[in-house]
Amino acid sequence: MTINRRNFIKAVAAAGSASLLTIPTSARADGKGKVIVIGGGFGGATAAKYIKMMDPAIDVTLIEPNQTYTSCPLSNEVLSGHRDISTLQAGYAAAAKRGINVMHDHVARVDPAKKTVTTGAGQTLGYDALVMAPGIAFDYEAISGYSKEASKLMPHAYKAGEQTLLLKAQLEAMPDGGLFIISVPTKPFRCPPGPYERAAQVASYMKHHGKSKAKVQILDANDSFSKKGLFEQGWKALYPGMIEWVSGADDGKVERVDAAGRMCFTGLNDHKADVINLIPPHRAGQIAQQTGLTNAQGWCEVAPMTMESTVHKDIYPIGDCCIAGELPVYDMPKSAHMAITQAKVAAGAIVARMNGVANPQPWYVNTCFSTLAPDYGISVVHVYRVTDNQFVYVKEAGGISPIDAPPLQRKLEAEYCVGWFNNVMADAFA
Amino acid sequence: MKRALLFCAALSAAPLIHAAEPDVAGLVKSCNNCHGVAGVSVGHSMPSIGGLSEAYLLNIMTQWKTGERFSAVMGRLLKGYTDQEIAALATHYSKQPWVPVAQTLDAKLLTQGKDAIDRCSSCHGDTGAPDEDDTPRLTGQWAKYMELELMKYRDEAVKMPHKKMRTNAKKLDAADVAAAAAHYASQQK
Repeated sequence: MTINRRNFIKAVAAAGSASLLTIPTSARADGKGKVIVIGGGFGGATAAKYIKMMDPAIDVTLIEPNQTYTSCPLSNEVLSGHRDISTLQAGYAAAAKRGINVMHDHVARVDPAKKTVTTGAGQTLGYDALVMAPGIAFDYEAISGYSKEASKLMPHAYKAGEQTLLLKAQLEAMPDGGLFIISVPTKPFRCPPGPYERAAQVASYMKHHGKSKAKVQILDANDSFSKKGLFEQGWKALYPGMIEWVSGADDGKVERVDAAGRMCFTGLNDHKADVINLIPPHRAGQIAQQTGLTNAQGWCEVAPMTMESTVHKDIYPIGDCCIAGELPVYDMPKSAHMAITQAKVAAGAIVARMNGVANPQPWYVNTCFSTLAPDYGISVVHVYRVTDNQFVYVKEAGGISPIDAPPLQRKLEAEYCVGWFNNVMADAFA
Repeated sequence: MKRALLFCAALSAAPLIHAAEPDVAGLVKSCNNCHGVAGVSVGHSMPSIGGLSEAYLLNIMTQWKTGERFSAVMGRLLKGYTDQEIAALATHYSKQPWVPVAQTLDAKLLTQGKDAIDRCSSCHGDTGAPDEDDTPRLTGQWAKYMELELMKYRDEAVKMPHKKMRTNAKKLDAADVAAAAAHYASQQK
């Protein structure tokens, strides 16, 4: 499934030439207000863009350490070799051109009382509204023996880029007949179907690169997972006998690792493997924790109408750092689609507030595609409404792809995944 | 005055599902994720929807919602939208300008496409600009998307409405499917 890069760029250019500024803005006064966005991933980049698009008079600053963003969605296809990592990357030139002040730095601290942000370089900036979109932080200490340093030997590849390429290199170097372990942390984690899609993409590489006797073993801290029936059906059809899933109840939870020795340890068993893809537990990004926005489980709680923090006024945590929706079953997944949707709700709320008009009705939808092979995609859809100031999952809608679907359904979903990806990348970064 | 304020408060607290006038701006933003800003898609398998006719948009969204028309994804989404919201979306997108997408197409397919559209042009025209309001515009639509749509009409395993379209799609030579799609995709006016 190679993406035609030239098509993509041309199309982005075509879309750019159409008027994007069609969202009406009310009459405005001078000195409308200052917005700072922390984090330039799907959520942060979208929030910055939509605020500027809806009201160019608002001063928007986006603070992001990296010059280039690498998408986690579709990065499993880099492992199989179906996709080059460059197709997952975007920069911030379009944001700057739009009039967004892009600063490549990290954030040292936020003062919610004084409403200021201090950058790593020591600059202090005031804000009227702050969008908090730092994504996730890894809880390295939760796995004994694991650390940021150890992640070079046992890549998590759950922040895409260098880590993805490290894991790919290990996969390429492993012998036929070898073992590739994916260790899945306790929920919630970003991209709930991610580890199981990864198993398929890794098996695809093995199957097509002379390692068809190699195996993938998923050691899972949980007892079930997103789209389980669909994944198991797909694994069996595409990679028979190559993928094994071990549930938490069946001693799947990894508690300790020996990174140099390529070993991991569950409660009762020692596991030696050629590659260990250790995904540690997550919590909200460091700056969100440090600002005191997180609950006891490490996530930022938000108000459904606006995405404003329930802890600090004028701070809007969006994307993977927040927890929202009806727990424990119908919470919003930590996905790119969800982050973009939340970003638009926060942007709408901020623009309305700065213009002294009523808050727009929020609207939350999500689509998560997983690609098991170039002709084999599956998905889960979520639709939420805000009723009585609560997130309500609409049970009549959404759900997973049908289990008894004809091959055409799987093919269409694999194709739609690519189209979805190009559009969300443009929605956030173009 | 006090009564008026209370009335407003009651209105704003009402759940959206009962709202007579859907907030189109919020709804539309959630469509952008896959269909692009102002309905101009930049993904080859996702259709541009800005500038399609209201009648067509209303019909296809309603058919997806009721299950009358097979969809891989859209039906699951639209079951969460009220009929009023669907109507508001159809109106909104029909008022956007139609922007044909510039796309790289195979020259051989394009030559083949001129004849391949024999079965299509009576309804869709030579350039994809239809005579009837409920027929979708194909001019400069994404080739990949149109090819996938034709596959749906040609596949007995999925439920598609519109007998005339099913019949003609099935009569197309397999080799002409991509060619017909490429022809309409190449039209820019």
